[in-house]
Amino acid sequence: MVNLSVISTIIVQAAMISALYALIAIGFTLIFGVGGVLNLAHGATITMGAFSAYYAGQFGLGVPGAVLASVTIPALFAGVLYLGMVKRLEDEPIMVMITTLVVSVVIEQAIVVFEGTTSRALPPLIQGQFSIAGSTFQNLLGAMFVVSWLLIGLLFLFVNYTKTGKGILAVSMSHKGASLVGIKSSRINLITWIIAGAFAGIAGLFLGSWLTADFAMGQAQLVLSFSIVVVGGIGSIRGSVIGAYLIGFLEIATTNLVSSSLQGLAPLVVLVVVLLVKPEGLFGREFTE
Amino acid sequence: MSSDAGSPEAAVGSQTGGDSILSIGDVHVSYGKVQALNGVDLEIGTGELISVIGPNGAGKSTLANSISGFLPYDGSISYQGDEVSENDPETLVERGLIQCTEKRDLFGFMSVEDNLDLGTYVRGDYEERLEFVYDLFPTLEERKDQHAHTMSGGEQQMLAIGRALMSDPELLVLDEPTLGLAPVILDDISEGIDRIQEEGVTILLCEQNVTFAMNHADRINLLENGEVVRQGSPEELRDDDYIRESYLGG
Repeated sequence: MVNLSVISTIIVQAAMISALYALIAIGFTLIFGVGGVLNLAHGATITMGAFSAYYAGQFGLGVPGAVLASVTIPALFAGVLYLGMVKRLEDEPIMVMITTLVVSVVIEQAIVVFEGTTSRALPPLIQGQFSIAGSTFQNLLGAMFVVSWLLIGLLFLFVNYTKTGKGILAVSMSHKGASLVGIKSSRINLITWIIAGAFAGIAGLFLGSWLTADFAMGQAQLVLSFSIVVVGGIGSIRGSVIGAYLIGFLEIATTNLVSSSLQGLAPLVVLVVVLLVKPEGLFGREFTE
Repeated sequence: MSSDAGSPEAAVGSQTGGDSILSIGDVHVSYGKVQALNGVDLEIGTGELISVIGPNGAGKSTLANSISGFLPYDGSISYQGDEVSENDPETLVERGLIQCTEKRDLFGFMSVEDNLDLGTYVRGDYEERLEFVYDLFPTLEERKDQHAHTMSGGEQQMLAIGRALMSDPELLVLDEPTLGLAPVILDDISEGIDRIQEEGVTILLCEQNVTFAMNHADRINLLENGEVVRQGSPEELRDDDYIRESYLGG
């Protein structure tokens, strides 16, 4: 018999981790929804965020330096990746997939060269614990939840209430329509890549702080992102949030109630079921005609 | 085609009614081995309404897209004295060259008002233009909160023209604005085009509906197989045997 404490642990923990999953998946789906390409370097960008924070700690820059590095370096990297490679291949989505996959491998191998395969501990962001319904959680998880939702909320406000944000929506619906009103799609795409890079970097910072950082940490996150956006509907921000929570809850419930060794299986099971029952995802592509 | 097109009562040549805003010289466009435009010449004077008519596949949309910077071409297309190919489509929009495409290319999951708002993304005063557009097409104001994709074809066409007008165009390129529309909607569009013309906007109307084009245009160009085979005023072309037999039902 499952007791109340276990259920409350599952609910609170899943709510917090799923928020981070949503943040990761939104970056991934934003790039697809607006630019129509899949960024397979998204996982490696998360890894880059974690190692940027790690190096900031090594250089004695403290927590503020780690936070700043984990946001700016992946964001700049994503911007340079778009301008240097993806922009030239935008009309060839398969080539973009191959290119970003290669870039992803290069980043991972570079980390192996410089840091080896050993996991690295990041500077502790926040210490301490808090209790909800008799269960205790790390403050870090609480911060992860708050920061993730804050960023998701800011993105929502940015997209819906700023001129550039409306430009993002316009390009996601019709590239030609956007051009007809003077919106430069390449500029909008660059902005989405930078936002996705920054979100991935923050995710890397939290994941690295919560667990540890290693060269392959982004691989599982890429699979997770892919599962979430397929479940929610590729290109749908709302779908990504719902998909993240669905998979997050299932993952935590599996870990707590069945076996932690089955944790990675949960997203794949949901993915297969959705592909069989509703292949367009729960929300389809909400913007595209 | 021109040699088989009957007696050329209306001459093919360049004439404008005012200072030239758009000048097209010997333009060729091809899609691979298919030649879509083959040496097109055209002049549009400021404030004129020039129409390009012709059957399906004549090259009207290709011409519209070349003028708007969406297609590469050989020859010369000069807008306000500058070569179009040296600008991207968005820069041309900033300079007032606005196209309303055959497919409309609306933002389907946005409201009418958001679509119109985006029309002023790089130029045009929102309040002033919105008043003009709502006055022109009151239906749009009645449906301002409705998503574009839920509207009828005629309403979508009004919205597409309305969005183009929000950008305060200096040259408005209308590609097949009457395509697939019911007669009652045609009247609204027709009245709208008259009002736009009264505002002093220069218009290039690419149109398959010859009667509609003749009712509005200052000069007409007949495009067939990528070539301009007739040019003249609506009156001149109405007297042209070939035009009468082929496009006006005898």
